Amino acid sequence: MGEVKINNFKPKIVGYLCNWCTYAAADLAGASRLDIKPSINVIRVMCSSRIDQNLILTTFFGGADGILIAGCHPGDCHYDKGNYYARRRYALLKKVLETLKLDPERLQLSWISAAEGKRYATVVNEFTERIRKLGPNPINNNSYF
Amino acid sequence: MNIVPNRGAKISVKNGFRGTILEFLRNSLEKGCFDGILIPMRVPADDSYAWVLVRDKPFLDNANPIAPIVSVQGAKALTSLTRKGGGNFNVAAIMKPCDIRASIELSKLKQVNLEKITLISYDCPGTLEMSNYIENPEESEKIFGSLLDGDVWDDKFTKPICQICDNFSFPACDLHFALLGTENGSIYLIPGTEKGENILDDLGIEYSEDLSNWEKKVIELIKKKEKQKAEKFELVKPTVEGFDNLLKTFANCIGCHNCQSACPICYCRQCYFDSEVSKPNSDFILLRTSKRGGISFPLDRIMFHTGRMSHMSLSCVSCGVCTDACPVSIPVADIFSYVADKTQRTFEYKAGNSTEEPLPMREYRFDELLEIKELVKDADGQD
Ligand code: SF4
Ligand code: SF4
Ligand code: FES
Repeated sequence: MGEVKINNFKPKIVGYLCNWCTYAAADLAGASRLDIKPSINVIRVMCSSRIDQNLILTTFFGGADGILIAGCHPGDCHYDKGNYYARRRYALLKKVLETLKLDPERLQLSWISAAEGKRYATVVNEFTERIRKLGPNPINNNSYF
Repeated sequence: MNIVPNRGAKISVKNGFRGTILEFLRNSLEKGCFDGILIPMRVPADDSYAWVLVRDKPFLDNANPIAPIVSVQGAKALTSLTRKGGGNFNVAAIMKPCDIRASIELSKLKQVNLEKITLISYDCPGTLEMSNYIENPEESEKIFGSLLDGDVWDDKFTKPICQICDNFSFPACDLHFALLGTENGSIYLIPGTEKGENILDDLGIEYSEDLSNWEKKVIELIKKKEKQKAEKFELVKPTVEGFDNLLKTFANCIGCHNCQSACPICYCRQCYFDSEVSKPNSDFILLRTSKRGGISFPLDRIMFHTGRMSHMSLSCVSCGVCTDACPVSIPVADIFSYVADKTQRTFEYKAGNSTEEPLPMREYRFDELLEIKELVKDADGQD
């Protein structure tokens, strides 16, 4: 079965990035030739509030090792208040994962504006490192799940 | 208990608690306070109860305001009645506190319209498990009858979720029958809203001031239930913590989604988990086996339960109908109640407590949840 050695474990991270800020920041980071770990698979969403809990759970139970949700800083949402709702939903899901001890650390919310290419690179790299230390998603070691 | 009421009307008990409540309902129907009464009635086969909207007084003779089981959650019945609006009829719904709490949640979710509804509640001694009742209805009626009339409401026969229910008295209703701590064969009828007060006025029922005996009894019982709840949660905890335990707990789940269809809070016309989008194609399923070596069917049962928790646990009222509905006896309600306790605490929310408290997912504050740790603390500014 899928035993992966921690040392050469390359995390698979899914990043749900808001079109209006973090997605642009990712672009900027790329254009600026910043060092970004290749672990992240980007999915563009129109707002961080597009992220329903089920989307995250599908990603999580589908086997992603880490999930990053990133959107506009509080006060800067393109739709005014989407990110506030996103933050509440995130807190709710996080609480469920925490209560069930389903590795809540694998889920992360970050605010990254379109101008923060460097911040984007740092967040992705640090999150990758955290997930690398955590090891593979236990789902991937359970043929029953 | 929500707020401590300060006034109640003294009503003398005739033909037991149920008879007394029925008499009140007959009077109020006769005096035109209501056009109809939504009340549990034993089904013709005698082995269950159904909600019936009664318009003619004689039909009330067959009704039982304090049913020993919950077949359909009361809020579900209210949803059916008012989902298209309040209408022109005044209806009284006599329901358990958990039915009322769910109705309040659903009214905030715009699935129930309470405008024309008068919610009438009573101190609830708990209910019996559906499966036990169906096996022996007559015996169960006897057991429940002596529980209701007994001096102490013990939890020998009630459902596990009722054993840990500390919301058994005075929900945010219009009128409440205070049964506990009754003295000299009388109970109290307590108005919870202006609507309730008006009805008492219309019926010419006088208020008495002293509810202290009832209050004392209620608080005593709340303390007992709180203790039982804490103990129960300690038992639930290890069964749901971690992938392996969660799998074990839901191992025999057949994915029927009965728990969800019975749940009053799960009101969505089409649940995501029943929709086609949630069903992966075979390639995707095979892809998922590539790392883990296999996959079990029905797919994604744990996802279904965690998804439901993260969608509706903020409004879960711990009514227990999910457990009653589960064909493989998974203690769904104990688990959901445990998780709901955590999520509701996160938002300092208590499901069903009041019509005013906004639903946590419907509002926000600019400077809240700051404890959500950012990965990179200080923005490294503009590049
Ligand atoms: S999850 Fe279960 S206990 Fe909670 S409201 Fe729904 S049916 Fe009632
Ligand atoms: S009712 Fe029981 S078997 Fe059916 S989906 Fe719910 S937990 Fe699983
Ligand atoms: S538009 Fe970026 S978070 Fe709403």
